[in-house]
Amino acid sequence: MNYLSHVLNHLRKDLRLEWRSRDSINGMLFFALLVVVVFGLAFDPAGYPTTTRQISGGILWVALLFASMTALNQSWSRELRNQVLEAQRMAPSPASALFLGKALANMLFVLAVEAVLAPVFIVFFNLHVLGNIWLLALILPLGTWALVVNGTFFAALGLRARNRELLLPLLLLPISLPALLAMVQGTTGILTGDLDSIQIGTWIKQLIGYDIIFTTVCILLFETAFSAE
Amino acid sequence: MTWHSFLNFSTMGHRHIFFVYAGVWIAQGGYLAWIAWNWAHTKNIRH
Amino acid sequence: MEQRTPTLRNVAWLWFGITIAVLVVGFRQAIFLVPAEATMGDVHRIFYYHLPHAVLGLIFPYVNFVASLAFLFWRRRDPLKALTADALAVAAAEVTVLYVGICLATGMLWGKPAWGIWWAWDARLTSELLLWLLYVSYLLLRRYSPSGQAGTVGAVLSVFAAIDVPIVYMSIQWWRTQHPAPVFGPNGGGVDHRFYPAILWNMAGWLMWGVLIMLFRFALERRRQLAEQEAALQAIEASLEIPR
Repeated sequence: MNYLSHVLNHLRKDLRLEWRSRDSINGMLFFALLVVVVFGLAFDPAGYPTTTRQISGGILWVALLFASMTALNQSWSRELRNQVLEAQRMAPSPASALFLGKALANMLFVLAVEAVLAPVFIVFFNLHVLGNIWLLALILPLGTWALVVNGTFFAALGLRARNRELLLPLLLLPISLPALLAMVQGTTGILTGDLDSIQIGTWIKQLIGYDIIFTTVCILLFETAFSAE
Repeated sequence: MTWHSFLNFSTMGHRHIFFVYAGVWIAQGGYLAWIAWNWAHTKNIRH
Repeated sequence: MEQRTPTLRNVAWLWFGITIAVLVVGFRQAIFLVPAEATMGDVHRIFYYHLPHAVLGLIFPYVNFVASLAFLFWRRRDPLKALTADALAVAAAEVTVLYVGICLATGMLWGKPAWGIWWAWDARLTSELLLWLLYVSYLLLRRYSPSGQAGTVGAVLSVFAAIDVPIVYMSIQWWRTQHPAPVFGPNGGGVDHRFYPAILWNMAGWLMWGVLIMLFRFALERRRQLAEQEAALQAIEASLEIPR
């Protein structure tokens, strides 16, 4: 079997597991909705449309960042039950195929949450996007992949650590900062229409560069991290 | 500067100079002391 | 081996003595001898302690990075060498957290009286903060990992950190050329030659101090590793002697 079929097998396995319990997606959705409600109470979206547009980008990514952390930790803890991890290590497929399959599965879950969250945002914050909304369709997946690929890797890194839930945000935040900067600035730029398409294009290029670099590093180092013991 | 003006705490600038110098010695000296304490309390298998 | 230790210890004490002497000279230069700066006055004296810690705080992470790479290389080939590399990596990481933390704290204490702000989100400061956070998380990851894995997971994180810090610097630098914001810190320009004694003595002193504490920490870590190996060996031997 070739590499791609290994990846697809792992992807199918994770999707099937998630579909049967649906706990990750539900958890993420409710968390994100909670963030939207709290921020909606914190300021008055209808009364201050300009301020709302300026901070909505940041709020969206905060909500997604924290929501995806819960899902990321859970995605690996399901491998710890029933000694599945040992079975994975003994399987002939390369460890990076497991990583990619899991990262793609997490990506699909977070994209599903985003698909629900984006209309909720537009409705609750009365958002009227002033820039080119199709660029948003480019930034959201690129930014999500940046969070998911590093998040899946670091969740695996801290897998047997005592304080897993603390470690993931602690590790993820510094590493993702360049991507976070690009995502938030790009999203805000599109929402407020302040940035022209060249500047948004530069943020998008930075995101693409970040994604390529860190996906490569994660795939190369996963074998080492996985067989650490 | 003199000892007198170094230990003068009247302005924020003076206070901060003192905090920096005292703080750096305390932090660095504290770390060295921690290493030394652990050194004394770790068994040396060579002797 | 019995003869090696007294010489090494004597060298260490000598180095310690010279370091303290250099630091005392540096203190005297910085506070009493060097003139006050033209615009800021005496507050500028904070710079003589801030600069060495800033510069050295960028060197020790590389020691950790090289030691981590050596660890990953030797991990399967020569486990004993890997263990030594791991001890150096931990020592360098702890000294990095110390120096970068002091750099940030002294920078903030300098910035408030000199420029009126505690902090600015420019490329230099943000990447410095990030470097500190990354190495704090490195130490926490090692502490919370089970003992066999700590070296490997730490080394992996070290590689990520080495890649990430330059990227952070460049991305925020680019952002700030588009959207300038308050910056503080010396921006290019030369340093007046009357300040050189304070800068050079303190740079030398804190460099010697950094080498001293890093090697001392390295020796402590080696001592711990050897004590652990000894304890493990004794446990194995004891288990072989259990009568049936």
